[in-house]
Amino acid sequence: MVYNSPVLFDKSETIVEKFTVRRDRRKLMIISAEPKEADIIEQFINHINGLKEYELIEMKDELQLKNISEVLDRQKMGTQLYISAKWDDAVTIFMAAIEAGFSEDEIQTLISGEKRRYVYCIKCYHLQEVEAEETDTICYHCQISLEIGPFFSRERKGYIGYPYNPAFVTST
Amino acid sequence: MYKSTNLDLFPYPFHNIKEGSNYRYSNDLRKLEKDQTSCIHITPEYEKQIKRKRELLNEQPEVRFQSYPHTMEMQWEVAEMLINMAVESYPEHFQVEKNGNHWTFHNLTLNETESFIFGDTSSIEFEPLDLIGRHFTTDFVLMVHRDDNLYLEVAQESYAALFSPHWNKGMSFDEIHAPVPFVSRTDVPLAERVRNFLLSNVLPGEPWTRINWNLMANRWDVNYETFDTWGPTRFLVTPENAGKLVRLRVEEQFFYRMPRSNAILFVLNTQFLPMEDLELRPVWLEQTYSILSGIPKPMADYKGFTPFIEPTVEYLKNLVEKVKLQTN
Repeated sequence: MVYNSPVLFDKSETIVEKFTVRRDRRKLMIISAEPKEADIIEQFINHINGLKEYELIEMKDELQLKNISEVLDRQKMGTQLYISAKWDDAVTIFMAAIEAGFSEDEIQTLISGEKRRYVYCIKCYHLQEVEAEETDTICYHCQISLEIGPFFSRERKGYIGYPYNPAFVTST
Repeated sequence: MYKSTNLDLFPYPFHNIKEGSNYRYSNDLRKLEKDQTSCIHITPEYEKQIKRKRELLNEQPEVRFQSYPHTMEMQWEVAEMLINMAVESYPEHFQVEKNGNHWTFHNLTLNETESFIFGDTSSIEFEPLDLIGRHFTTDFVLMVHRDDNLYLEVAQESYAALFSPHWNKGMSFDEIHAPVPFVSRTDVPLAERVRNFLLSNVLPGEPWTRINWNLMANRWDVNYETFDTWGPTRFLVTPENAGKLVRLRVEEQFFYRMPRSNAILFVLNTQFLPMEDLELRPVWLEQTYSILSGIPKPMADYKGFTPFIEPTVEYLKNLVEKVKLQTN
């Protein structure tokens, strides 16, 4: 991993609403870590059946999740990865895939449930989670008001939080 | 606050704008002449600037200097270039003795000596660029060429304008310039066009330069970390106080391709001129008034001076009239 390696955040390119078959890949590999999405996985497999070689890994427990790196490390060039998981598990699998040498273009991630979003207080350098639609928040650490900007830092793992003084209201 | 007192050394930004035309964003990069490739400049404000720069670096090290551990060799390469430039440009101010890898750098103006083993970071108190950068008034940003882009790996700055080494660390040129809203005539984002230009044209031994400008309301720098402090002060400007509070902030940028690391070093020379001092150069005054009067709102918004552009233009209008009356 290097500093400009991809990370998973709510607007990552890897996140998709629906899996699509990459016919240009040699093999498709599906990691299903969320049993609730089994129907979607089944539909996708029906869709790819016969078109491409595929492998399905169903994650049943935490131990399997911890050992996912071994599976990913074994994959050869030309493998397209599909991740179906809740946010925290998706982060673990996605990071393991990047570590194993996958590019973001070689991974499609389907998030089950809520995505997590973080803001980085540029005043005190504290990272904290915020709601999906929040535009303003208070820094838990230094208590300053933060306007959540649109810019994300892979290094800081969050969106920029601009400090502002709520007592100062301008007429413009 | 300090200001430029020798106007012959002030990098006035509108020299190349034709009379009667407006300023617009453009790729205005220019190759430096063979005999003028040094980025080291000593102005009458040198000592004042160095004092403030070091205060900021010492008080806010995490805000003002950032690097990755793997950058030491690149930093030594930059330190070597800056030392050689300084000694060559200003032998009366800087000297260096090199006995193998044992170097002694003398700053005669400040009466300081730095002795170190070149290439051995354990022989110095700060990282190489942080150490040598404290002898020069400019900011330094080292961007590494990777995957057809430039990535910020080292930065020392004390005059940030909507920039922060801490926040921008590790970002690509495009990410750093994501807030730039402008596109070229051919609809290519301006930042992308400039990035491609830098990658193709800044070659070893062929440095380039450009001038960036802004207006600032009574601030040394406007970094992200202090937005809550300086944001509101922009609304305190009136036509009466704009002469003193508002400064033309000029950033003379130099770009050097480092031959060993292939990184590009950005050197940023920031100078300030209060609006009231434009009276000393009536041609500058009239042109600045003309250009600021016609600034489109998106550009003022991007540069962050929308809250005080109107009173500033009003002040300049009055000053232009006053100067005309005096000369007639």
